[in-house]
Amino acid sequence: MCPPAHFEVAYEINPWMHNEVHPDPERAQAQWERLVAALRSAGAEVETMDPVPGLPDLVFTANAGLVDGDRFIPSRFRHPERRGETDHDVAWFSRRGYRVAWLPEAVLHEGAGDALPFGGHGPNPPTLLSGYRFRSDAASHAEVSRITGAPVRPLELADPRLYHLDLVFCPLDDRRAMVAPLGLDRYGLKVVESLVPELLYLEDEEALGFCANSVVVGDRIVMPGCPARVGDRLRSWGFEVEVCPVDEFLKAGGGCRCLTLALDVRLGVEARGGPA
Amino acid sequence: MATEVVELQGHIIDSLILAKVLDLILEAGADYRLVEVDIGRTSSDTSAARIEVTASDDAVLANLVEALQIHGANRVDVGEAELVAADIDGVLPGGFYSTTNLPTRVRVDRRWIEVANPEMDCALVVDRAGPGAAARTVPMHAVRRGDLVVVGHDGVKVDSPDRPRGPAAFEFMNSEVSSEKPKALVIQEVADKLRTARTTSTRVLAVCGPAVIHTGAGPAVARLVAGGWIDVLFAGNGFATHDIESNVLGTSLGVSLGEGKATEGGHANHLRVINEVRRHGSIAAAVEAGFIGGGVMYECVRAGVPFVLGGSVRDDGPLPDVISDTVAAVDAMRALVPGVSVALMLASTLHAIATGNILPSSVETYCVDINQAVVTKLADRGSHQALGIVTDVGLFLGQLAEALCP
Repeated sequence: MCPPAHFEVAYEINPWMHNEVHPDPERAQAQWERLVAALRSAGAEVETMDPVPGLPDLVFTANAGLVDGDRFIPSRFRHPERRGETDHDVAWFSRRGYRVAWLPEAVLHEGAGDALPFGGHGPNPPTLLSGYRFRSDAASHAEVSRITGAPVRPLELADPRLYHLDLVFCPLDDRRAMVAPLGLDRYGLKVVESLVPELLYLEDEEALGFCANSVVVGDRIVMPGCPARVGDRLRSWGFEVEVCPVDEFLKAGGGCRCLTLALDVRLGVEARGGPA
Repeated sequence: MATEVVELQGHIIDSLILAKVLDLILEAGADYRLVEVDIGRTSSDTSAARIEVTASDDAVLANLVEALQIHGANRVDVGEAELVAADIDGVLPGGFYSTTNLPTRVRVDRRWIEVANPEMDCALVVDRAGPGAAARTVPMHAVRRGDLVVVGHDGVKVDSPDRPRGPAAFEFMNSEVSSEKPKALVIQEVADKLRTARTTSTRVLAVCGPAVIHTGAGPAVARLVAGGWIDVLFAGNGFATHDIESNVLGTSLGVSLGEGKATEGGHANHLRVINEVRRHGSIAAAVEAGFIGGGVMYECVRAGVPFVLGGSVRDDGPLPDVISDTVAAVDAMRALVPGVSVALMLASTLHAIATGNILPSSVETYCVDINQAVVTKLADRGSHQALGIVTDVGLFLGQLAEALCP
């Protein structure tokens, strides 16, 4: 994660951003600290990177890239406003001994924000669901698959307000996930339905409240907001729900999950050691 | 029809991307053909598909291909045409692409360009001077130093030689040549083609051999010209000479067309006629002066129907209008081809073949000759669109004129 010391809305690259609506720095800092505390209390270890002036969206570490064991695949950002983040992301992972694998310059992919692994048991690798259209492009998926060896299912995102896959889909465990039909077309929804045995369908309002942008740590789900209907269902599945309001970050189009990048991700088939 | 090949790669089967792309093609009103599909063995393996997309026009296709790109379907680079500048006037670069008379397209600057004037046995020259590139056929002698000539076969597409007329239009003529066709029906069909040409403001070309005059069909052709049914005439010195001779002296090669008897001293009739026309300076001047008072050439001059008289090594005279430089003669014929939709080859062998050489395959071509070999020869030299009507040209033209100018 990256502290929001330099977080602001300095440009408009998604429908949530408005140059005239500024986040309150103190509230943002407090919300971010509360999110860190919630994740730690759920059992997660949190590592941080240094914020950088002029890179307000560096707080949204989900878009830094894809983690696959000891490999880091840096994002290729669509918007020039965010491309400056990559050097800092790569430096952070390199210092920790990750091998950096670059996507070709010709493709766009915005990291874990647009690529979520689901399932995978024993020798079977998880399936990487990968969103495209608004940020990542369709051609990137064959490249991600080539680097990681993971089967990748590209899903076309259908609503510009849900511009990253992590606003549309949230894997909960090996059998369950939340999905927002608003954000997919019929093909994408069919792919998700055929892959996930038990789905919690988010209604449009719930999806636009960023319910899917939640962080799952074991059986605890840290959510930016949770309507009663969704909470009841999640609890009936045995999850504990913790709501962590991050509305200062919603002004930039990001929720809880956008503020994190999971480091314990293994894609592909072969067993890999952790970072050296 | 516009066609592009796109390629999809990755996990395109389980992600339904392939299905989605194919659906999008159909929803856009276009069609596809799976050229190649390589499906991975396990769910981890990637697959690849090459899809040929066909749409009604370039604009629809361009929009569709752009829409498909969003889903990772990229246009396969089919290769641009290789262009080499000619280094000498009248000489093509080695390996030049040799044309057919079929509709042809050239890929230049990532666009397919329609060749403006399909003609067989020419080179393709690309002109980049205008707002977009243009492509045209150029005969060898006409290429100029610096012309960009297509070399090799990359980036050149030739449309399959489907008969545009379809099975219904001329269905009783399944074989190209036959003497066993019901002539009245054939003549009716040809008359209909000429009527269509008139309503579509396209032009009818007649290529006439001397037998048209010998068989007494000159007045019928003259009627067709006067009636506005023939818009361009190609012939040789012989046809024009006998046409004029028959109108000035009433003989063709000295034989009286009225009585069928050889006239005394008639063997020199055509020479005397040529000599007088040469005195006038041109056929038009001879018409103007009243020396020629009727016939095909007379009607051409009166109606302003352009004609080209191509010379040959055995011509007497020749008439002053005859272009005795054969290369210049064919160029003059070429200049009159645009706009022609129907060609009637009338009892002519050499001029019919010369004309067949310069016509695009889209021109409806009828070859009327008593000799089946002429039609076969025309088809053998690449004018596959030619339909043969094996009959006496005199009878044919008489009935055609009757049908069109009653």
